[in-house]
Amino acid sequence: MKLLRFLAIAAIGWMSGLAAAQAADPVNVYSIWPENYARPMFEEFEKATGIKVNFIRFSSGEALARVIAEKNNPRIDVLFGGPVETFAAGIKEGIFAPYKSPSFDKLPARFKHADGQWTAIADDPLVFMTNAAFLKSKGLQAPASWDDLLNPAYKNQLQMADARTSGTAVTRIFSVLEVNKRDEEKSFAYLKKLRQNVQVYTKSGGGGTLPVGLGQAGGGIFFIVDALETKAKGYDVVISFPKEGIGSSAEAIALIKGAKNPEGGKKLIDFATSAAMQSKLAAHKVNFVPANPDVKTEASLAAVLKDAKVFPIDDEYAGANRKRIVDRWIKEVLGSQ
Amino acid sequence: MARGFVSEGRRFLRDPALLGAVVILWLLLALFVLYPLFELLVRAFSDEGKFTAQPLLDGIADPSNRAAFVNSLILATAVGVMGTLLGFLFALTATRAGLGRRWLTLLDATALLPLVSPPFTTSIAIIFSFGPKGFISHHLLGFDNVSAYGFWSTALAETLTYFPIGYLTLRPILAAIDPNLEEMAFSLGGSRWRIFRTVTVPLCVPGFANTFLLLFAASLADFATPLILAGNSFAVLPTQAFLQITGMFDFKGGAVLSLMLLVPAAAVFLLQRYWVGRRVYVTVTGKVGQRSRTRAMAPGASVGLVVACALVAIVIVYFYALLVYASFVVAFGANETFTWRHYGVIFTEGLPAIRDTLIIALVGMPLGGFYGVLVGYLLARRRFPGRRAMEIVTIINYALPGTIVGIAYLMAFNDPPIALTGGMLIIVACYVFRYSPTGIRATVALLQQIDRSLEEASSSLGAGSGETFRRVTLPLIVPAFFAGLGVVFIRSMTAISATIFLVSISWTLITVRILENMTELALGPAAAFSVFVIVVVFAVVWGLSAVLARFRAPTAGAAARSLLGG
Repeated sequence: MKLLRFLAIAAIGWMSGLAAAQAADPVNVYSIWPENYARPMFEEFEKATGIKVNFIRFSSGEALARVIAEKNNPRIDVLFGGPVETFAAGIKEGIFAPYKSPSFDKLPARFKHADGQWTAIADDPLVFMTNAAFLKSKGLQAPASWDDLLNPAYKNQLQMADARTSGTAVTRIFSVLEVNKRDEEKSFAYLKKLRQNVQVYTKSGGGGTLPVGLGQAGGGIFFIVDALETKAKGYDVVISFPKEGIGSSAEAIALIKGAKNPEGGKKLIDFATSAAMQSKLAAHKVNFVPANPDVKTEASLAAVLKDAKVFPIDDEYAGANRKRIVDRWIKEVLGSQ
Repeated sequence: MARGFVSEGRRFLRDPALLGAVVILWLLLALFVLYPLFELLVRAFSDEGKFTAQPLLDGIADPSNRAAFVNSLILATAVGVMGTLLGFLFALTATRAGLGRRWLTLLDATALLPLVSPPFTTSIAIIFSFGPKGFISHHLLGFDNVSAYGFWSTALAETLTYFPIGYLTLRPILAAIDPNLEEMAFSLGGSRWRIFRTVTVPLCVPGFANTFLLLFAASLADFATPLILAGNSFAVLPTQAFLQITGMFDFKGGAVLSLMLLVPAAAVFLLQRYWVGRRVYVTVTGKVGQRSRTRAMAPGASVGLVVACALVAIVIVYFYALLVYASFVVAFGANETFTWRHYGVIFTEGLPAIRDTLIIALVGMPLGGFYGVLVGYLLARRRFPGRRAMEIVTIINYALPGTIVGIAYLMAFNDPPIALTGGMLIIVACYVFRYSPTGIRATVALLQQIDRSLEEASSSLGAGSGETFRRVTLPLIVPAFFAGLGVVFIRSMTAISATIFLVSISWTLITVRILENMTELALGPAAAFSVFVIVVVFAVVWGLSAVLARFRAPTAGAAARSLLGG
């Protein structure tokens, strides 16, 4: 028994020691941006302010679920990155504390919540990405219309994200709604037809990029940042845009209500919404479109987007209808064969 | 609870060490086993503070949930059957084909590889081997447009991952069959095939049933493989529960799905433990390790067995070779230049995950080992009120699928008064109470073979129960202690189903990082992490086996096997 007591005391002592050691002043963050995009930004922040960022990466749905679950006892200060639909859904749960950074006034209306519940740090259009060898073997051009993706040649060849966990998927579904003038019946008829060609819906937005790069899948719908990353890794993929237009989602940041380190959190938001961070995106090969008007879109990224018809997703409409539309998608699209 | 104890005999009360240990254990079990389960049930059965079965009924009525339920059972049955066959094939080869010691070691090593690996390794390999442009399906066999997602790939991946459980269960049974039985039948003129059919196989039937149920339960609980491989047309319950909670923030829906999973899991567990488990125990006892002669097997059949095993072993080795390869090239499939980069990534950016995982594993290891030995000792040697109840309660978290345990912990420990989420303790507690039953069983098995008189002698010389335990019993059950340590360590390095709900900013796990990497196209780091885990686990298993080999207690072998079989 002495041994047990000794072990218990030793374990408790050790753990409380750890807790004390962590009581410095770092900012705690859930990042929806993948680690390879978020980490360099946080390192720049630490360089600029001396404040360390502790973070863990979750898909947007997972991150949102966590923050809501932790509402009574928040574990983080800032929710970083991720499409604004996610943040719009979060507002309804009352998980954010309004905060307006110095850059707030500069930003166009679609890049900020009127009360400062969230602020955009980047813009991220969706794209069609196809495997070049696949297109060649089927004698296809890169898809240039939403209907091109319904071609039977793509049967069982598309990968895209699952709306239960991924904000990419939600942006995609709302793109279809916008293209169809918010006619839900028409949109869902399209989504159900598209389902026939989908090999698998992936847990995260970028989940299908590697399979498309490898030719395990023929193509899919992804955020431009993930598509360009795939290309940069050396995979032979083609990026194209539908002529009807495709949605773009602002990537946002927000302060958590009840944050344990609100001052640090605000500093991170100041940094992320300013040119200080967004001018570093290109240097770290993170291909988001900057939201801050002081930062020019990097030339090669601008070239890709030159002729694309890209429209913003209306965050009020999306936020108000997200849950209902996703539920309907699960019931009518995901489950159907 | 305390009042119940008081009414029991004076002896129990006069033994403060025993009383203290039992009370502390009950408190721990109440906190880490019963309370979370209670929270889960409350969540599933209440609506605005009132009891109602409506959410559960709605959940059962939902056709997609019912489909997931049926799919889970189909998958588990398929894995149970295929895994039992494959395990039997390996066990038969190991015991009857007359392989040399070295070949046996090699066979063991390949069979054990999947058991000590992170859960996605087989899934990754299957995607890259059997997809539309997979190495095997497309480049080798020339098929086009094969899907790597769905029932068959999931069943195949789970079979390859779990068949070693079947091998470990069936091998001692085959080894224990008295060779005289087979020989007698042979000398009476039976053909070898007839003997195999009418003597060997019937003697293994309880073993088959046991193996099937173990594999069935393992598949039922498996969450990682279907998450990667099942695709969207073959939903299963653990994955659905995970998506329901993490994606939709629907705790109630998750709890309901978990309860649907609980029913078959509990049924299988009770069946295995109270019906089949006992029969097998009797068959095996005292015969472990005895090898029969090779005569019972025709040379041709031996060759066939060895070839079949070799083919499976090659597939396994190929899968792992692919993993090692992917960890050493810049971008698998696009730029196959050699690089150390991914290992650089895991030892810099991934270092917190590695450090956290190792700390958690190293903290959990002694706690789990000690807890297992203590509970095993109390169950096997001491009489106290509620002993039977304690035995059942200690096994609950082990018998439940990890998804349920993780969800229950998340619900129970998220808010004050007992807010443990975000810390290390919750992950350690999850591992200790989930994976220690192997240590408990090993201790009980070991103690059943040690004569009680040793301890009685100590008591009659005036030692208290604490001292007797420490100075007499403990040294005797050291092998079980190490078995318990080993299982907790291995699972802490490789498990994900429960703890994926419990990671936080301060404490993350390698397995969770691997899943993240895989979902964000960083295949290289995912592969490098997996290789790292396999190397560490193999090193620890090897070290523990070396320690175990020094204790030449009669059941050291059994303890070593349970090290991996749990």
